[in-house]
Amino acid sequence: MATEAEVRSALGEVLDPEYPISILDLGLVRGIEVEGDKVRVKLTFTSLGCPCVELIREDVRSRLRAIEGVHQVEIEEVFEPWDASAISRKGREILRSLGVC
Amino acid sequence: MLTDSALLERIRAGRLVERPDHANERYIEGLKRTLIVSADTELISAPAYLRAAQDAPNVNAYISAMGIIQDELGHAHIAYRLLRDLGVDTDALVYERRPEEFKHPYAFDVPLESWTELVVANAFYDRAGFVLLGDVFRHTSYGPWKRALVKVDREENFHLRHGERWMSILAQDPARRDELQRAVDWMFVLTLEWFGLPDHLKRHTEQISYGLKGKTNDQLRQEWLSTTVPFCEKLGLRVPAHYDSERGEYVIDVPFPAEFDAENKRWLFERGAITWDDVLARWRRRGPANVELVSEIQRGYAQIRPALAA
Repeated sequence: MATEAEVRSALGEVLDPEYPISILDLGLVRGIEVEGDKVRVKLTFTSLGCPCVELIREDVRSRLRAIEGVHQVEIEEVFEPWDASAISRKGREILRSLGVC
Repeated sequence: MLTDSALLERIRAGRLVERPDHANERYIEGLKRTLIVSADTELISAPAYLRAAQDAPNVNAYISAMGIIQDELGHAHIAYRLLRDLGVDTDALVYERRPEEFKHPYAFDVPLESWTELVVANAFYDRAGFVLLGDVFRHTSYGPWKRALVKVDREENFHLRHGERWMSILAQDPARRDELQRAVDWMFVLTLEWFGLPDHLKRHTEQISYGLKGKTNDQLRQEWLSTTVPFCEKLGLRVPAHYDSERGEYVIDVPFPAEFDAENKRWLFERGAITWDDVLARWRRRGPANVELVSEIQRGYAQIRPALAA
C-alpha cells in the first residue's frame, strides 16, 4: 500500500499547466487519504473559473496511478478559498523569477 | 542616440538595449514595427477565439477557452505598453486605425466557426506564435521585451496543451474526425504562410543584426513543422508535409504558396503555385472576418468617441 508521504511527494511533481510550480507549492492540495489501493485527494483551485481544472485533474490522476499499489484515484474538488498566502516560499520564489508575483 | 556601428557593437557584445538612447532611430523604428505585429496578433486573436468559443462542448471547455482569451489580451497589453513607453499613441493604434491597417496575420481574418476550428487554432496558430515569440525571447536585444516574454512564453504552453489535448479527443471520436481533418486541411497551410516570405525573397540582415529576431523565416517555419507534423501524424491526421531525411528538413507536398478560397476555406492546389506577390496582395486585401474582428475591439470606444471629442 502506498503511504501518504509517497502520494504527497508524487503530487509535488504535478505542475501547474502554466507555470513550473507544483500544485503542492501552489497550495491546491487540501487533503490526502490512502485506503488500500485507493487514493483520495482533495483539491481546490485558484479561482472558480480556473481554466486548467481538467488538465490538473488529468495530471493528478495519471501521476498517482503510476505509484505502485495505487489502482484508484478519487479527486474531490473542495473549492476551499484560495489566496496567494497558500503559496509556499519555494513557490513564491519560482513565480517571482517569472515576473508573476 | 548611438551611431549604427556603436549600436551593432553593443548588440554583438550581448548588452541589451534598455532605452531609446541606447539605440538609434532605425533600430527603434524596426522595433516598433515588430512590436505592432506582435501586439495586433495577440489582440485580434481574442475576438477570433471568442466567436468560436461559443461552440464549446461543455462549461469547463468554455472556461478554458476564456482563460486563453484573457491571456491573449494580457499579452497584447504587454506589447502595446512597450510601444507606449516608446512614445507611440497606443489608443490611436488600437481604436483609430482602419481594420485593414492592423498587422495581424491573414489567418485570423478567416473566421473560426466551431470548437474544432478553435482547438486547431490553439494547436497550430498558438504554436506559430510560440515559435516566433520564443525566438524573440531568446534573441531580442531589447531588454524590456525580453523580460516581459518570460510570462508570455509560459502561458502559451497552456494554450498549446489545450489545443493538442482537444485535437486528440476529437481525433478519437469517429463522429468528429472528418470535421477535424477538414480544419487541419485549410489551417495547416495557412499557418505555413504565417511565417512569411521564404529566405531567398527576404533579406533579414537588419532584423537579425539588430537582434530583433534570431532565426530566418524558413528556419522558423521548419521549427513549426518539426513539432506539428509529428503531432498530426501521431493522431493519424493527413498533413501536406513530410520529413525528407536526405535533405534533413521538412518538405511541403502541395503547391506553396497557393491560391486560397477564403469563403469556402479551401486551397485551390489544382491551379498550381502562385507568387508571393499574389499572397501579399491577398494579405493586403485582408480576409472575410477582418472588419468584424476589429469592430469588436473598437465597439466600446466608438460609443464614447463623441464624448471624448467634446
